[in-house]
Parts: sequence; C-alpha cells; structure tokens
Amino acid sequence: MTANGTRQIAWVYDLNKCIGCQTCSVACKVLWTRDEGEKHEWWCSVNTMPGLGTPKGWEEMGGGIDPKTGKARPGHQPTRGEFGGGFDYNYYEVFYGGTAGKAHLEPQAPREGRWAMNWDEDQGAGEWPNSYFFYMPRICNHCTNPVCLEACPTGALAKRDDGLVLRDEDVCMGDRFCMEACPYKKIYFNYERHVAQHCIGCFPRVEAGVAPACVRQCPGRAVFVGFLDEEGTPVNNLVKKWKIALPLHAEAGTGPNVFYVPPLSPHRLNDDFSIDYQTPRIPPEYLESLFGPEVHTALATLSSEMEKVRGGGSSEMLKTLIAYKWQELLGPFTVDPADIVPTV
Amino acid sequence: MKVATVNAGADLADPASQAWNGVTAEAVALAPVPLAAQPTEYIREAWANRAYGKTAEARVAAATDGKKLYVRVEWADDPAPNAEFQDAVGAVLGDGPLDTLGSAASPLALWYWENGRGALNLVSKGPGVVTKADASAVSGTGASGGGKWAVVISGPASASKGKLGVAVWNGSNEERAGLAAVSRNWLPLE
Ligand code: SF4
Ligand code: SF4
Repeated sequence: MTANGTRQIAWVYDLNKCIGCQTCSVACKVLWTRDEGEKHEWWCSVNTMPGLGTPKGWEEMGGGIDPKTGKARPGHQPTRGEFGGGFDYNYYEVFYGGTAGKAHLEPQAPREGRWAMNWDEDQGAGEWPNSYFFYMPRICNHCTNPVCLEACPTGALAKRDDGLVLRDEDVCMGDRFCMEACPYKKIYFNYERHVAQHCIGCFPRVEAGVAPACVRQCPGRAVFVGFLDEEGTPVNNLVKKWKIALPLHAEAGTGPNVFYVPPLSPHRLNDDFSIDYQTPRIPPEYLESLFGPEVHTALATLSSEMEKVRGGGSSEMLKTLIAYKWQELLGPFTVDPADIVPTV
Repeated sequence: MKVATVNAGADLADPASQAWNGVTAEAVALAPVPLAAQPTEYIREAWANRAYGKTAEARVAAATDGKKLYVRVEWADDPAPNAEFQDAVGAVLGDGPLDTLGSAASPLALWYWENGRGALNLVSKGPGVVTKADASAVSGTGASGGGKWAVVISGPASASKGKLGVAVWNGSNEERAGLAAVSRNWLPLE
C-alpha cells in the first residue's frame, strides 16, 4: 500500500505459457459483453504477435504521452471496421440447409476488408524454417497515469483506491476522446447505447475476493493477479524483485499495470538445417520494441535460471512461473465464485 | 427574437410542417468554441492544428403553443461521409457564458439533438462538460435534404422568456463535446 492508502491491482501474463486458447477472452465475453451493442467488444483479446492485432494496426494509432513535451499525444479513434467482428454466421444454412459439403461457416459480411479479434492468428513473421510467433493476451492496463481519464470532458472515468480505472456509463456521453488517447486502444464503442466501454477488472468479483475471470479460467496457468507492491507475492516478485515481467510499450508513458514475462524462443536453423545456438528465432530487437531494452536482461535471467535447474539446482523463480499450486496465481482473490452469494 | 405563438394542435415538432411557414427565421452567425476553453489537455493538443466549429451560420426560428418552446434550426449539411460521428445541434438556454457553453459557476441548459440518437436534456458547465438531466423534458426531430439539415428541438415553454443560443456539431469533421460552432450572441426571446 502506498502512503496515500491506495494500492494497485496488477496482472502478469507469462507469454511462455500462454497457448492462445482464448479461454480468458471467452470467459470475459461470457461474463461482461453479451448485451446490446457489445458483440464486437473483447475487453480481453488474445492475438498472435507479430501481427496487426486488435484493433487492426493498433500499435500505430498514437495516443499516450509525448515523451518530448510531456503532454497528451493525439491518437486515432479505432473505427468499427478496425475492431471488426460482431459478425452473424450462416449457422442455419450449414447445419440445416441441406447443403452438406457445399456451404461452410462464414461471416455474413462483405469479404473485402473483413477483420476481427484474432483475425491474423498464427500468421506471425519470419521465413520458413525460421518463422516465429507467440500469443499475447491484452486487457486494459489500469494505468497509473490513465490518459483516457484525463482526456474525458465529462469526468466519466475514475481511478479507484485499488487501482482499477472504471467508467460511469451514466456519465459517459460517447465523446470517445478516451479511445483516441489510450495508446493501447483497449476501449470499445457501443454504437447501440452510445457509450465507450472497457475492461472493468472484474471489479464485482474482486470486491468479493474472487479473481478476475481471465486469471481464474486460464488453463495454461499463465496469468497472475495481485497487488503490485505487496512484497513476497508472485506479482511483486516477478515485476519488482526478479524484474522478469515487463510492461508493454512503456514508452507510451501511461504506467501500465499489466506485465508480461517475455517469450523465449527456439534457436534458428541454418540453411543446412544445423542449429544456430547463438541466434534466437524471435528477433531480440522485435521484443525490445514491445518491452523495452530491459527485455534482454529478463530473457537472460530466465535462461540462466533454467540452466540452474537443468544442472540439478532449484529456482524460486521457476517454481513461481510453473505455479504448482494454481491458487498461487490468484493473489489475494482466492474465493471460489461458486461460494459467493449474489446481492442482486 | 420573437417567439411566435401558434395554435395548439399545430405540428411544430416536425421541421417540415406548414406551421413553420409563418414563423420568421433569423440568420445567426456562429463561431468555434475557443480552443483554450476546451476542458482537457488531450482535446487541446489533438485539435490545436485542426479546424472545428466549421458551421458559420444557422437560420433559427422559435415558436410556442403555450406548453412547449420549439426551436427550429437550419444549417448547411457537410456532405463528407463519416461513419463514426454524427451531425448534431443544440438549443442553449439560460444565463451564462455562451461562447464556452456555460461554466461551472453558470451552467446552461442544452437541449441537444443528434442524428441517430435523438434528443438529450443536458446541463452544460463548459465545452462538453455536460451532465444528463430529465430526458423526458426535451424532444427533437431532424431531417436532412437538399444539402441542409432542419431540426426542431423542444422543451418546457417556461424557457420562452429567456435568452437563446444555438450550437452546431459537424459530424463529418468529428465534432462533438466542446468542438462546436456556437452563436456569437445571445438572442433575447420575446
Ligand atoms: S486463457 Fe491463458 S493460455 Fe489461454 S489464451 Fe488466455 S492467457 Fe493464454
Ligand atoms: S490501458 Fe488505456 S483505457 Fe486502460 S487505463 Fe490505460 S489509457 Fe486508460
């Protein structure tokens, strides 16, 4: 807890364990975005990296804080087409239409310019046999310096004492400056209800001591949640003590509170298919463009801990990452959602 | 500006209604809400080199049937398409700084109408600094055609004795919140 009594909920995603199964994104969708106008909204999205992602080309859309002036940097408001998705499918035709073998499941939207969350799945980059990719789940970063909040003229956004950045949808006028200002482009627009919407950090669960759905449902045991400054916890150890979990695009200046254990990669193959032990398949400079120069130290630390264990030693760090006891992923939010009594 | 008194039963809510034929409209000059008054750094930075409040003039007429005040606003429709933002108009009422759409100390009533969204009853405490009030008190209908928008917004007739301003948002230019063109002077209603 900081001097002013506030704390910060933080997430750590271990990209070496994420298998891109989309259980987190679907858990979130089922819980929070099944209402009017929310079809295209994925508050938790998992994309293949490198890739154009969600919304399409989000890393080139600006926003955040200009490092030169220290002021808010203009950004682009992602459009309906750039988020894409929200399609209807021809289920009836495929299942009952008597078209067996002819019709296949297809979005009922023009082919031209189609896009959706995870549209570029597993494309990645690189040339065979040295092609590479990894999965990256993204949610709102519940930033320490939330530019979305600052940009809003109606005061619809607030940062709570637990660090979550939440929106009052009754106050939101749908002006969408938040969407332009957010460098992570993690705010969606509900065209039916005319409000912007983003990850609520599962606050009703968190308040009842239950972990956010993206954390609790992850079959890969890849996601940790907890209070960032609570010493001795996995989140604090991974981010602050061992420094192997890093923020994404920290250069945007908003102080994100979602951290990533960067992906290790297999070695490159030479033209004669012999192994080049010196060169990782994922270019280090690409990882640096995402996680900053600290990524090299983080990867070196991970590798040396793995060496240590291979040599018969023991590593607290690897034990934490393996998460032998899955409850360790949940931080203080260990209550079983089946045990909470609904209040409404 | 003269508020015409019209028989109850006349369809003033419809901007195309014959009832408006006998009501004199005034040409009203508009100007952009000042950049320096925009409420957040983000908006000031993002629009520093971008023109807004592009609508220079509107034709404004006002009428009452004794129960409600009807304000009809007509202005040139920018034909450029924009799938994200819509054209909108507001009748501004009360006593306070019109050029900034009110202030915290002197809030103004904003009867707001947006294409595709309908009417909202807002309290405006500055450019885009609005809160929602009783929605049932305000209604609006708009129609575009012939390169023009014509919109009627209505609210309680008690407003007929005060001052009127109008604001126009050009959706093609992504104008919303405080990024509006607002009438340069109050029109005292009589
Ligand atoms: S549920 Fe876990 S493993 Fe599956 S995509 Fe999400 S973070 Fe990755
Ligand atoms: S990620 Fe974007 S929406 Fe979330 S707090 Fe940061 S700036 Fe705001």
